[in-house]
Amino acid sequence: MKIPRFLKGTTIASLVAVLILPFVLPSTSLAIEVLIFSIAALGCNLLLGYTGLLSFGQGIFFGMGSYATSLCLQRLDAGLVTSLLLAFVVGGLVAAVVGGLSIRRRGIYFVMLTLAFAQMFYFMAYTASGLTGGDNGLLDVPRPPLRVFGFEISTLGASLSYYVFVAVLFLAIFVALRRIIHSPFGSTLLAIRDNEERATAIGYNTRYFKIVAFMISGSITAVAGGLYAMFLNFAPLSNIEHLMGEQILFMTIIGGTGSLFGSFLGAGFLIVVGDVLSAIWPRWLMLLGFLLIAIVLFMRGGLWGCIESLMGRFRGHQNTKKDPPLSESPTGSLSTKEEAKNER
Amino acid sequence: MTLYLFQVLNGLGLGMIYFLIAVGLSIIFGLLNFVNFAHGAFFLLGSYFCYQVVALTGNFWLSLLIAPVIVGAIAWFAESNLLNRVYNLPHAFQILITLGMALVIQESAIMVWGTVGKNIAVPDLLQGIVQMGDFAYPIYRLFVISFSAVIALLLWLLLERTRFGALVRAGSENTEMVSLLGVNIFKLFSITFGLGATLAGLAGVLAAPLRGADPFMGAEILGIAFVVVVIGGMGSFTGALVGGLLVGLVQSIMSSLWPPGVHLMIYGSMALVILIRPYGLFGRA
Repeated sequence: MKIPRFLKGTTIASLVAVLILPFVLPSTSLAIEVLIFSIAALGCNLLLGYTGLLSFGQGIFFGMGSYATSLCLQRLDAGLVTSLLLAFVVGGLVAAVVGGLSIRRRGIYFVMLTLAFAQMFYFMAYTASGLTGGDNGLLDVPRPPLRVFGFEISTLGASLSYYVFVAVLFLAIFVALRRIIHSPFGSTLLAIRDNEERATAIGYNTRYFKIVAFMISGSITAVAGGLYAMFLNFAPLSNIEHLMGEQILFMTIIGGTGSLFGSFLGAGFLIVVGDVLSAIWPRWLMLLGFLLIAIVLFMRGGLWGCIESLMGRFRGHQNTKKDPPLSESPTGSLSTKEEAKNER
Repeated sequence: MTLYLFQVLNGLGLGMIYFLIAVGLSIIFGLLNFVNFAHGAFFLLGSYFCYQVVALTGNFWLSLLIAPVIVGAIAWFAESNLLNRVYNLPHAFQILITLGMALVIQESAIMVWGTVGKNIAVPDLLQGIVQMGDFAYPIYRLFVISFSAVIALLLWLLLERTRFGALVRAGSENTEMVSLLGVNIFKLFSITFGLGATLAGLAGVLAAPLRGADPFMGAEILGIAFVVVVIGGMGSFTGALVGGLLVGLVQSIMSSLWPPGVHLMIYGSMALVILIRPYGLFGRA
């Protein structure tokens, strides 16, 4: 039997990583956190790495997902699967609205729109304290047992069993995204990333593709948000803050855009390093600042780009260096003014 | 009625401070086509340097002179050693590197001055209130309005009546042409970036006695500055002035009518402006 391509390579790497993670890391809850944010970074990567859209709005989807799941669990007394499905749907719908409006502009105006929406959703969540708990967040979010068609598979009470649940979801989303990226749909997204005018000229409705990419990204990120709320037993206001979106963005970029495994690396790196360093040096965010600067100056492919070029050197390939995946083609500053006008 | 007069004056003061921050951001974007996410951090530095100078010398006026200049020098140094390497990269990388810079500055401020905010006293000369009939208003707030109005006028003269201003305006139109005419464009970039940061630092000093200095106000003020720049139109002096005053007035009046709605309205109008009129109220299409 022929094994499809999307089950080889980095899928195997993720499987191995997921299997050894709880044993390498000091605690299972840290491993859970790594995987939850890996899922969020995967969602972000589809937009940033594969469609070329730098969105500060990922926090909206993450926060909406955690509110949707928590409210569904608390008020409707629904099960685990139903609540996560609701988060998936809500995330997709919100992303359709936010993304659909934001992609009406391009370049820096697109970024500004996502920023404006991120702030609006934050202040809406802050104001609607009857629903979201406002500043206090939603307390006592339950983590119900996993039931499929009435069969109780696990109570998810122990953190290791919750880890297994999150890991299965992570792998499923990873494989699904790989499948999407290697489909004609994914190739179209890449075409839009590399040259939107050309994609339009060939006859693709780029707006439709961008909205669908946004919806997939929003749904995935919202599921991560829901998982996070159940993990914390708490849905804090900070889940929908624009800093959350920024953090997800940083993970994606540090790991390497344009590589799904990079998202796992980035989330793992930021969370583990943050956990280790914050205990000994509360100002470790400064290191993150320097790291971002260094990434822009020296390693635009992120961690995954480093590994790739090391592997290339190991195999003896010269010049395996590829174009930085984040970019439209680099343009000289002296000629970008016209493009800036086109962005509008 | 006097309540509204009070709110309007407050709004004007706030608006002028927003103008000072936003105009630098706007000019930098216009000339360099560069999105500076570290601009809020320059405001932050201005406030903290003000605190430091006042703590050392007890002289607010000295800090009004020195603090913005130091901020400008730091920005000039960062521009000419770091940011000038990323001008030919896509916007995403410019956003990242300036976000990194903002994080470094914020965390350095916490290391030096701690997480707890600092208060800066209103200078002796400007303490007290002005009494007009039954209406009283703090002198310092009046000083902020008039002082920043003078700065705005000077800046307008600089941009409209000097060779430097002509170069900045010409560069915003067509950078390549200005460079072909024999102007050292990278020097112009550095000076403009430093000037923009100086203005943000000045805004930080002026705001310090009103709201103190705390390490997380940089990010907050950056959001407002983007709103002002977008509403007024990127690259436009008039836009920054009108946008700043509008946002200041809306914030001040709304906060007496419906406090939770202030930010919703501000960011909502930002989104609306980009969607309906992306070049802002005063930008050129």
